[in-house]
Amino acid sequence: MFSELLKSKKFIILDGAMGTQLQARGLKTGECPEALNVTHPDTVREIHRSYIEAGSDIVYTNTFGANSYKLSESGYSVSELVRAGVRTAKEAAGESGVLAALDIGPIGQLMEPTGSMSFDEAYDIYKEVILAGEEADLIVFETMTDLLELKAGVLAAKENSTKPVICTMTFEENTRTFTGCSVSAMALTMQGLGVDAIGVNCSLGPIQLREVVKELARWTTLPLIVKPNAGLPDPSTGEYDLTPNNFAKSMADDIIPLGAVIVGGCCGTTPDYIRMLCKELDGKNPALREVTSHSAVCSSSRTVIIDQPRIIGERINPTGKKLFKEALRNNNLDYILSQGIEQVHAGAEILDVNVGLPEIDEEKMMVRSVKGLQGVVDVPLQIDSTIPQVLESALRVYSGKPIVNSVNGEEKSLETVLPLVKKYGAAVVGLTLDKNGIPKTAQGRFEIAEKIVKNANALGIKNKDIYIDCLTLTASAEQEGVMETLNALERVKKELGVKTVLGVSNISFGLPNRELVTSTFLTMALQKGLDLPIINPNVAAMTGAVRAYKLLANIDRNSAEFIKAYNNTDVQKQTASVRNDITLGYAIENGLKKEGAEITEKLLESMSPMDIINQQLIPALDKAGADFEKGKIFLPQLIQSATVSQACFEVIKKKLTGANGSSVSKGKIVLATVKGDVHDIGKNIVKVLLENYGYTVIDLGKDVEYEEVLNAAVENNVKLVGLSALMTTTLKSMEETIALLRKHYECKVMVGGAVLTPEYAEKIGADYYSKDAKESVDIAKKVFG
Amino acid sequence: MIKLENLDFDEALRYMGCKSREAADSRTLSMMEECEKLVIENSVPRYRYKFFEIEKTDDTGIQLKDSTLILKGNDIRQHLKDCFGIILMCATLSGKIDALIRKTQLEDMTRAVIVNALASVAIEQLCDKAEVEIYENLDKCYKTWRYSPGYGDFPIELQKDILTVLDAPRKIGLCTGCSMTLTPIKSVTAVTGLSHKPVSPRKRGCLSCNLRNTCQYRKVGNHCVQ
Repeated sequence: MFSELLKSKKFIILDGAMGTQLQARGLKTGECPEALNVTHPDTVREIHRSYIEAGSDIVYTNTFGANSYKLSESGYSVSELVRAGVRTAKEAAGESGVLAALDIGPIGQLMEPTGSMSFDEAYDIYKEVILAGEEADLIVFETMTDLLELKAGVLAAKENSTKPVICTMTFEENTRTFTGCSVSAMALTMQGLGVDAIGVNCSLGPIQLREVVKELARWTTLPLIVKPNAGLPDPSTGEYDLTPNNFAKSMADDIIPLGAVIVGGCCGTTPDYIRMLCKELDGKNPALREVTSHSAVCSSSRTVIIDQPRIIGERINPTGKKLFKEALRNNNLDYILSQGIEQVHAGAEILDVNVGLPEIDEEKMMVRSVKGLQGVVDVPLQIDSTIPQVLESALRVYSGKPIVNSVNGEEKSLETVLPLVKKYGAAVVGLTLDKNGIPKTAQGRFEIAEKIVKNANALGIKNKDIYIDCLTLTASAEQEGVMETLNALERVKKELGVKTVLGVSNISFGLPNRELVTSTFLTMALQKGLDLPIINPNVAAMTGAVRAYKLLANIDRNSAEFIKAYNNTDVQKQTASVRNDITLGYAIENGLKKEGAEITEKLLESMSPMDIINQQLIPALDKAGADFEKGKIFLPQLIQSATVSQACFEVIKKKLTGANGSSVSKGKIVLATVKGDVHDIGKNIVKVLLENYGYTVIDLGKDVEYEEVLNAAVENNVKLVGLSALMTTTLKSMEETIALLRKHYECKVMVGGAVLTPEYAEKIGADYYSKDAKESVDIAKKVFG
Repeated sequence: MIKLENLDFDEALRYMGCKSREAADSRTLSMMEECEKLVIENSVPRYRYKFFEIEKTDDTGIQLKDSTLILKGNDIRQHLKDCFGIILMCATLSGKIDALIRKTQLEDMTRAVIVNALASVAIEQLCDKAEVEIYENLDKCYKTWRYSPGYGDFPIELQKDILTVLDAPRKIGLCTGCSMTLTPIKSVTAVTGLSHKPVSPRKRGCLSCNLRNTCQYRKVGNHCVQ
């Protein structure tokens, strides 16, 4: 089988292109190639045989696009075409010992958030293919560009088959895939998931793929696959520029020395290319590879190597934060995402994500948060929950290699969390506590750390993926414990050879001048060898302590990072001074956000919040709205005014939640871009305006299921639902959503979107047609009075 | 690879509902400069095209040689009158632009609206530049303007087939979903007719546009295409 092939052969030879061969035999452009498995199995078998005769050890079945999405209008079922495809390849292989690999390509739709395919949908589509292809000898994913889609496929394979799984992605010359996935991210994620070999295929010829292969060879210990095109195509004729001979030579000269051992050809290659390749490699030996074993985590586009202190942002966590809790209760994902973006701007290199609140569905919120965050920030995430089910759901939809926060020394925790870490190829935070609590001494914590490391190692989790947290205690309560934490950290790092992580903010609890105490403690910890400080990066002193430490410890060479971070500070200070002579109305009219917030702050000293809202904010917004209608100002200005007013609202809200928790909301409105539609900027503009008139918006996002709209309306008991659709094809979804609402719930519905007309809005049962964002506010005023 | 440059601000302003540069405020204009940089930096312009001879036109539609693709509808038939072939093309600014728009919306909605409008300008510029490159490789002939699925009665459902024929998902990462929305969001598919004799200089007009009833430009007597 595959593992025997790997052991017995110096090089494993794959096949060449299938599509090119089918076209040469009369397949029309646009025709379904996999249908030939049923209509012309002889043709397909003959192509497989020609590759086997040319020297292929593995042939890929003619099933690249045989998934339920692509076949939806073909008249064939997945099972039919995949079974026939596998059978044909196996027949061609006969008794030759050649293996048939179940060939699986991308589904053909983009994943969320750019597209609308969810992880679960992708998983199910792949599962169907894998079950139908059970007779194949191994499973290959090729030409993949989205890391999460590939992960869905690999998990579907691992959970529904025992066959070996190999995968190749398609990289451009810039060493990224179309979706921005980097080579290191592919290697870290796929090796973590336990695939049997990884590599690259398609896009370019061997020589152009050199850098990609070189990079990949550094990041993985797995066997390397390289299946390039026959050079580059001529844009007008589509002909590739390498002859079989040149292709084979280039493979031998440019690719083999980098360590590739599983090789073949992609677009434009024929049996002649494979024959020449075999000839060229005859008698050659695979090159030895030098793999650097990094401690690293990644998103699909950014890899963070833990070779120096890296900041983990701690702000996505409701503990002790009223506004955050309120956001969680209102399902306000944007609030969480904004917290993520803010921390990355401030210097966070990894974000901790904790959305645990007893009264909400933590699992659902965690999945939404992880999906949302990976759509707007590129830093890796640390998934933080005490519930294994929450961890697992988040691990599934995470695109990259995350950190699991956390496991501890208790048996139950070790038994439930570590297997998840192993299965999904994550790194893990190990807390030095167990059922007896946190040991007082460094020795006690060291022993728990040792136990965690031992258990993790036993499952195959390597030291480089274990980050031990020796736990910070509060200095005001347990002053003698401070050095115990630091001493434990030092020993864990030196003696166990793992990385260390530490949340530092607790240290100063209950003391004056907390910032000074915390940043000093942080510096002490860094000196003891702390790798991953968990801090609030928005506090300049904290991020500053890490940056200064890196400079002084000669990690930040030539002080480059430090200078980049602080060189412009003076300039910022100068522009930060605010004029005193302006009114709130003036600030709103002129888009002066900072000024608006400051004036509101001052006004709060002499006016009640509701008076500020009704006497100042709303009239100023009304004026902007009227000017917009008259054409005096246009959309960007209207939104600028709204943004200033939003800043003012934030100030008022903070004051109110700080005082008695009462709300300034004028009522709740559910907004959604309907199912199937991914254009949501219009809906988001409406949201900004509504919020600035004091309405609470439950934003369900885009591509929203009918039931989800209904459920949100019922749960929040809203009077008004706003639906948006941009495409003629999604108006149907709008109609269905309204129909469902009408059946089960009484509320007003407003609709908007470029292709809608007032007549159509009426026809599909909407109460209001909103021609623009301004009008949606007028409608809300009517509904709520 | 095509490089985007000097995005047309007048066009972007019109997308945002502003009649002219003179009517725009200075704050928006200065934000546009900054957003233009962002849009260009975050675009990875890619396109694909293929020439097809028109085999025949019958009741089912326009049949293309060596392809299963059939162009349906009266409007495309009118558009391709007197044409011997077509250029089928698709183009995208890539998913990085989607990420930029998502992120900017969370940071500052005003900038997001500007980025969105400028990205729409950028995809048109990409198509224009791609056309220049495409026609450099063709024998001299006359061409119609770009006609896209969804215009008039040219069915938007053709989107998926066009992308399949151009191998767009695999070659440039351009896909569509069940609702026929192109993803990444700033993408285009189009058909251009080729003719041996001059084609009438018909312009894209409001009558072939599905948005004509609610169009904001039309309301104030403007057009979206000069």
